[in-house]
Amino acid sequence: MKPLPILSTLLLPVALLTTPVLAQQRVAPVELITTTEAYDPIRYEAAFIIAEAWRELGLDVTVRPTEFRTALDRFYGNQDFDAVILGWSGRVDRLDPQFFLGTLDSRQSELGGNNPGGYINPEYDALYDAQSQQFDPDNRRDIVWEMQELYMPDIPTVVLFHRDEVVAYNHNTFTDIPVMAGEGLYSEWTPLQARPLTDRAVLRIGGPQEPDNVNPLDSTSVWGWKWMRMYYDRLVRLSADVEPVPWAAVEVTAVDETTVDVTLREGMRFHDGEPVTAADVAFTFNYYMTQDYSYFNAYLAPLAAVEQTGELSVRFTLSEPSAPFAIITLSQIPILPRHIWESIDNPGELSPEDIPTVGSGPLRFERHDRGEFMSLSRNDDHFSAGTVALEGVEFIIYADMEGVFTGLLTEQIDMTAWRMEPGQIPLAEAEDHLTVISVPDFGYFHLTYNLRREPFNDRAARRALTMAMDRERMVNVLLDGRGEVGTTVVAPVNAFWHNPFTERFDYDMDAARAELETAGYTWDAEGRLLRP
Amino acid sequence: MNRARYLLRRLLQALLALFIIATLLFFLFRLGLPDPTAALITEGLSLEEREMVRARFGLDRPLFEQYLIYLGNIVQGDFGFSFSYRAPVADIIWERLANTLVLMLSAILIAYAIGVPLGAWLSWRRGSGTDTAGIILGLMFRSAPMFWTGMMAILIFGVSLGWFPTSGMRTLPYEATGFFDKIFTLDFLAHLILPALIVALYYLGSPLLIMRNTMMEVYGEDFIEMARAKGLPERRILYHHAARNALLPVVTQLAVTIGLAAGGQVVVEVVFSWPGLGREILNAVRTSDFPLAQASFLIMAAFVITLNLLVDILYTTLDPRVTLQ
Repeated sequence: MKPLPILSTLLLPVALLTTPVLAQQRVAPVELITTTEAYDPIRYEAAFIIAEAWRELGLDVTVRPTEFRTALDRFYGNQDFDAVILGWSGRVDRLDPQFFLGTLDSRQSELGGNNPGGYINPEYDALYDAQSQQFDPDNRRDIVWEMQELYMPDIPTVVLFHRDEVVAYNHNTFTDIPVMAGEGLYSEWTPLQARPLTDRAVLRIGGPQEPDNVNPLDSTSVWGWKWMRMYYDRLVRLSADVEPVPWAAVEVTAVDETTVDVTLREGMRFHDGEPVTAADVAFTFNYYMTQDYSYFNAYLAPLAAVEQTGELSVRFTLSEPSAPFAIITLSQIPILPRHIWESIDNPGELSPEDIPTVGSGPLRFERHDRGEFMSLSRNDDHFSAGTVALEGVEFIIYADMEGVFTGLLTEQIDMTAWRMEPGQIPLAEAEDHLTVISVPDFGYFHLTYNLRREPFNDRAARRALTMAMDRERMVNVLLDGRGEVGTTVVAPVNAFWHNPFTERFDYDMDAARAELETAGYTWDAEGRLLRP
Repeated sequence: MNRARYLLRRLLQALLALFIIATLLFFLFRLGLPDPTAALITEGLSLEEREMVRARFGLDRPLFEQYLIYLGNIVQGDFGFSFSYRAPVADIIWERLANTLVLMLSAILIAYAIGVPLGAWLSWRRGSGTDTAGIILGLMFRSAPMFWTGMMAILIFGVSLGWFPTSGMRTLPYEATGFFDKIFTLDFLAHLILPALIVALYYLGSPLLIMRNTMMEVYGEDFIEMARAKGLPERRILYHHAARNALLPVVTQLAVTIGLAAGGQVVVEVVFSWPGLGREILNAVRTSDFPLAQASFLIMAAFVITLNLLVDILYTTLDPRVTLQ
């Protein structure tokens, strides 16, 4: 330990002489966090394409491939990052612009919130509140468009690209399988619309994901809900064009800004034969509110009270006006049978064999054998049964996408539940019995700047660094052309809400340099970027 | 030292080893794996909601307190609740372990049933072309990655020829629910063949080479000379005199192989979508499902330790030269 103090005393004057000049002038080095190559080669490669261009502008960049959940924690949990490449998946309820617009709301910028970059714009926040309380869709759209136009020039987050979901099905066994943005072939409409072409009227779906559990008060995964929503009814369903269509409800009426009356369909029954009444609906919403089920908390947040007002009528009282209430809340909460659930006090602690699986949906729960197989059968008593051609749905659980693809080749399954690997797409296209479909996604991959840190706290730097991203090349090379260059957080495929007239930030290195120069940045002899 | 005291000492050693492993596992996973609730963020959960989930898992308590609860539960045979499945870990593991053992024990049986006599035979034909071919083949399958041999088998026998199913344990839909209903069917056998063969080919090398090499050593012993002098036929000397004495290292290897079998062959279970413990371990680590991962690895360790103990005891019976002193 002894030589060290001597060494540092020797070095200190030198350090004092040289560092001030450099430290004050040069733009601080930055770290770009992305996923590991094994987790997602696309985001990994995208980071290197971006870093290369940033270096060309004289920025000192280190790409840091990080284990996925560690990256999530650094981004959301600790906000300990310079810039991050991550993504948002396109869940159906996110087609309503509320969720994605919220990722730039300053009130979500605290630790753990959805705006870890820390974009703060009071004007934007005010518009966010206004759109959320605007019931008229056209008026609401005007506000949503204005918000996109407002934030884009500040570019706090860059939507890199939307990746198409490429899926396939066997066109010799089934036809009329509907395609839905963000859902692909495995949507809740598939069992209602698909028609068999052979004697086998049971649709076989294959996928590598399986529900964490089928407890409607405990599951925290998309895969749990994709399965459960087929045997539970909701008051409203979202059509393939994301219009709310009446389902268990025949009528949804907004009495005033904070009161919604719902009238139930007559003659509905649960799978055990008990009738579905307004008491069940009121019970369900109140049960979810008292149980504090984290997965639905955001949906239930605007709700103040739910009460039964008649045999088939329910009144929802909101704490404040909420435009997405009908689209999000009413379409996501399953109707539970009160006679089964009212005696369960701690539903989160049910062991798997005790979890009730009685719904009122168009399909009935048959079985779930973990790691192997799940099945549902048609509910002949359901109001939609007359138009359903399928007798049931089976889901075969594979260990990975390779297994799913082999299942598709050997005709073990009729369709994939999840996107194929890039390498499998041309192979699937070469098969005579398969139809391959590219479904555009409204989820997106983004690069988010930490606006609390240099140089990303400077609007001009963000603008220039965004212009240096060759997103066209990412889509063509990394996605093999199966995707779309990103624009605003509301995807182009979400046509009603997407504003096509915002600033685009096309790839242009000269423009990027010009932007930096205008803001007073300069370069030293080695081409390193210096502060204004 | 008498046998009972020896056994007691070995048993205590085994328990100590298990305790150390349980401790290591607990801290290793918590230090090495990311927070299990981090993935909930992409599902749109806020920080408070995440904290609720953490509290339910008991992750909000001090690490040492968690550790004490964990140890206390293990002693009572309670492995806790899986974070991702929200089901008792024991229920998940026993089912998966059974599936894995059926696959692995069949594979080991095939490997040793072929490997041991083949190794003995090769030693007899030592230096010949057959010997060289046998060694090369054994080494080749031992070093070929199983995901590759597995995928080749699927491609050839599953996709092109269509002889065997390529994934899972049974053709769906099925009715059987009990474990024995499930495995005593022709359909199950058809599903078992490819993965079991791939694992067997991988395991084949060990008994083959160990048997061959030990046999060579045994050939130099005096009693073989003696048997030859008595004029016994070469085949009898090979299988009755030499082979029995060469079995000891093979038995050790067999025990170690069976011990490790509890963990399954993760790669094979993934390639063939076999619902075994190996695949579950992979999922548990991927999702930071601490209780499930801990219990899986603990069971594997218990298996290895128990079988080592058994071998030591078996040795005294198999080879009179090994005594308790």
